[in-house]
Amino acid sequence: MTSMNRKPWAQSSFNFKVQLALVSTIPVAIGALFVILGGFDFSIGLIGVFLPIQVIVVGVFGWLKAKKRGLGDALLIFFTIFFSTLVLVLLLSVLGSVIFEGFKALTPHFIYENNRYVGTTTSLEYGGVGHAILGTILIVLLTTVAAVPLGIAMAVYLTQSQSKMRGVVRTVTQSLAGLPSVVAGLFILAVMQFTHLERSGLTGALALFPLMLPTVARVAEESLRLVPADLRMAALALGAPNHKAFFQVILPAAKSGILTALLLGLARIVGETAPLILTTNMNNTTNLNPFIGPMASLPTYVYNFLGSSYSSSQQRAWGAALVLLIFVGILFGAARILGRKKSLKTSKKAK
Amino acid sequence: MMNSTTASASTLSTEDISVWFGERQVLQDINLVFPANQVTALIGPSGCGKSTFLRTLNRMHELIPSAGLAGRVLLDGQDIYDSSVDAVDVRIKVGMVFQKPNPFPTMSIRENILSGLKLSGRKITDADDLVETSLRRASIWNEVKDRLGDQALSLSGGQQQRLCIARSLAMNPEVLLMDEPCSALDPGSTRRIEETIQELSASMTIVIVTHNMQQAQRVSDQTAFFLADENTPGVVVEFGRTEDLFNTPIDPRTNDYVNGHFG
Repeated sequence: MTSMNRKPWAQSSFNFKVQLALVSTIPVAIGALFVILGGFDFSIGLIGVFLPIQVIVVGVFGWLKAKKRGLGDALLIFFTIFFSTLVLVLLLSVLGSVIFEGFKALTPHFIYENNRYVGTTTSLEYGGVGHAILGTILIVLLTTVAAVPLGIAMAVYLTQSQSKMRGVVRTVTQSLAGLPSVVAGLFILAVMQFTHLERSGLTGALALFPLMLPTVARVAEESLRLVPADLRMAALALGAPNHKAFFQVILPAAKSGILTALLLGLARIVGETAPLILTTNMNNTTNLNPFIGPMASLPTYVYNFLGSSYSSSQQRAWGAALVLLIFVGILFGAARILGRKKSLKTSKKAK
Repeated sequence: MMNSTTASASTLSTEDISVWFGERQVLQDINLVFPANQVTALIGPSGCGKSTFLRTLNRMHELIPSAGLAGRVLLDGQDIYDSSVDAVDVRIKVGMVFQKPNPFPTMSIRENILSGLKLSGRKITDADDLVETSLRRASIWNEVKDRLGDQALSLSGGQQQRLCIARSLAMNPEVLLMDEPCSALDPGSTRRIEETIQELSASMTIVIVTHNMQQAQRVSDQTAFFLADENTPGVVVEFGRTEDLFNTPIDPRTNDYVNGHFG
């Protein structure tokens, strides 16, 4: 005998489907009528007409289905959908406008040329963000080289030691995570004036350091904490010294989480603007030496050109913003894929 | 002194072992002798300190921050808590199998077997032979011989536990401590592990904590019955040959416990 694989709990009658369709389309239609034919403003149509009608219709529908319980459920479902759609629309419109506006400026030479002979009115056929891309990569790399090992070391200290200082370290890390980035920039600026350091890629990297460190430390700490204590015990019971138990058993088990910490740390600082404006300034030419001279970066590039009232400059800013967005997108995508690999492993375990 | 390379069973004994967690005493004056090549079962109700006692035998106890200890544990006459003795050396000689199977998830079956030698920094000569011998001794070779490169977590719970036993055996311990090794396993896996224990006792001394009276009777030569009254530290009520302890217990509390009247 063969039996069909069904979901009997998800069956609904034809009648119910029709009612649901009516409930979800009539208020929209009325709202649209008011906006299109009545000449209402869109936001008035949405909040003044659609929203109250929809709430009443959904409420009545729920009440008829299951009295008070149905009313509560129906309203909850409606508000959940309404507000998540609202947030999604807002996010997508930000993303959409960057992609739409940025795409106009995006040409191959925009990616690799620098801005040596470009002024605020120069047309888009000349110049690009090549120097800013390189600058961002160099500055971020410098910060990463310092912040990631230290962040992981902090995570190790917080998870592996029994020290009483852990609470203090954790609190300080958490408050560092809440540090406004402009304050980090100001601090380095003050240090620069005190020590007569010139603006350079390095000072920019220094300003980003306190922003990246807490992110890396916290995510790495979480991933190390997820490694079962059993594994450490098993390794120690086999006669492993502490350091070998850590490097050969605990760290490999937390590997994907620590990679995620690295990527989230990168994504945290790659778009930081204020500290870089204060500490590296802007540069229209390519500077590959992070120790001497100001350095361009994508966020400061956006900031500089967005301030101009000329349309070609604003287009450049949008283009650079799009490049930056792609950068961040790649980082988050990589973090997600690495995170997924981890969960694949655990699902294998379930099998 | 602590570094013999030949595998041989050792006699383990404790002298007046008392254990504290913080200010709370959980064990009082435990005196037991585990003769070479014998299997000793530790039984008693939950919370009487038998697992804690087991962990004092290979110095895993001291990994708990609040832990305290008095008394001596002698491995072939040498106090393992003597300041001249390294805990790592003790754990190499006194292996341990935990209640929950805990194979290393990032390693293959084969790597798990070899992990003990790698972790303790010893040279591996003839790895293939060691892997096969260890897996055979834990009676799991036939099930995994064609998939030694697979992740250890792809095994079933019972297989994982036998892999953990094999991992301990690869270290060639003189004493093997087992903390309720079958409590998470089905009857089939339990039976195979019990058979393994019997075979292993030819070459090592075994101490096993168990909640299962039948298991204690099946596998052990001698049995110690632990008991802790409310708010008092755990003590050994009775210790002797397994058949004596189960059939003709001297202490009435032992009689009640082994016949299922409490606990």
